[in-house]
Amino acid sequence: MKTFEERFTAWVDGQLTGRDLAEFEKDLANHPEVVAERAEARKLGDLLRAQPVPPLGNADFFSHQLMQLIAAETPRAAEPAKPRAWFWSLPRLAFAGAACLVVAGGLFKTLIPAAVSPGEKSKYYAQVVEAWPADPSISATTVYNSADNVTVVWLDGLPYIPATYALK
Amino acid sequence: MNEAMSQPSNTLPMQAEPAAEGPDDLDLVARSQAGDTAAFNALVTRYRSRAFSMIYQMTRNEQDAWDLAQDGFVKAWKSIGRFRGQSSFYTWLYRILMNVTIDSLRRKRIASGTEFDDQIGLRQIEPGAATAPRAELQPAEKISDQEIRTRIDAAIEKLSPEHRAAIVMREIDGLEYSEIAEHMDCSIGTVMSRLFYARKKLQALLKDVYENI
Repeated sequence: MKTFEERFTAWVDGQLTGRDLAEFEKDLANHPEVVAERAEARKLGDLLRAQPVPPLGNADFFSHQLMQLIAAETPRAAEPAKPRAWFWSLPRLAFAGAACLVVAGGLFKTLIPAAVSPGEKSKYYAQVVEAWPADPSISATTVYNSADNVTVVWLDGLPYIPATYALK
Repeated sequence: MNEAMSQPSNTLPMQAEPAAEGPDDLDLVARSQAGDTAAFNALVTRYRSRAFSMIYQMTRNEQDAWDLAQDGFVKAWKSIGRFRGQSSFYTWLYRILMNVTIDSLRRKRIASGTEFDDQIGLRQIEPGAATAPRAELQPAEKISDQEIRTRIDAAIEKLSPEHRAAIVMREIDGLEYSEIAEHMDCSIGTVMSRLFYARKKLQALLKDVYENI
């Protein structure tokens, strides 16, 4: 069963209908002051609804500040874990290969002496590649004179060349 | 501007916003659920004024209303994944805003050590008796708008958060009892009882005001 408070509230708000309304209004015959009470409740409602509400000031700043709050409170989405196989993807392999080439080139350039370029003229036109002297104090070198276009074989430690020997 | 303007007499649209331009709410909600903050910002733009108005009616303080509206929208963003579209977006948002506001008013009550006694001033009043006026003003005395606002603010401040919510939802937002009960997570009988005592108290505090305007 509804309490008086519930029935009175429903009556003030026009929500009491049918048998409930008839019974309540029958009870009111002995309480005319309750009718005045309803009128006051409605005046109160009118008063509350008539009050102006201040507008939201700086509405755009409200949104700006709010979105900053949301950004600060939203955990950054974790980077999706990439499959391990993708570590050796084609771009990575190409990059690694290029890096290896650069390092190898650098090492070659710094550690291996540069060869004489073909265009550069050496002062030696000929070179003694092999010599088998019986005496280790004897050595052979060649000197080329470009002005005279002559190659001189220089034998150190050999007092003379036997007439029966010839250079090969 | 794509913003639904607030109406003092009703801050709760129970149906979709026909006047709103651009994508509809459900589209924006779906994009927000996918993490699109721009879509959520569009929803904020659409409802920020109405949210502010509703909270202001409860708190009677602009700064509090601003802060609580922000808190409410942040909570809505965090829980938007749970919105299933069983009601309109604003009805769903309204419940969040109302709960945020009631929680804040409760915390303030605890912090200030103020206990609302909704029976204060009513113990001598029989349920069917006429409201006892606080005859602070003579009948012929006119009351200024500023004073009316001050008196209403002071009177509403004397209500408990639950009674404030019931009065605002019924008298200002025009909600049905069942909707108020759903928002407040209580029975319809409790809503009616809260309305009864809240009205009695406000009538006791404001009778001279509404009788003199």
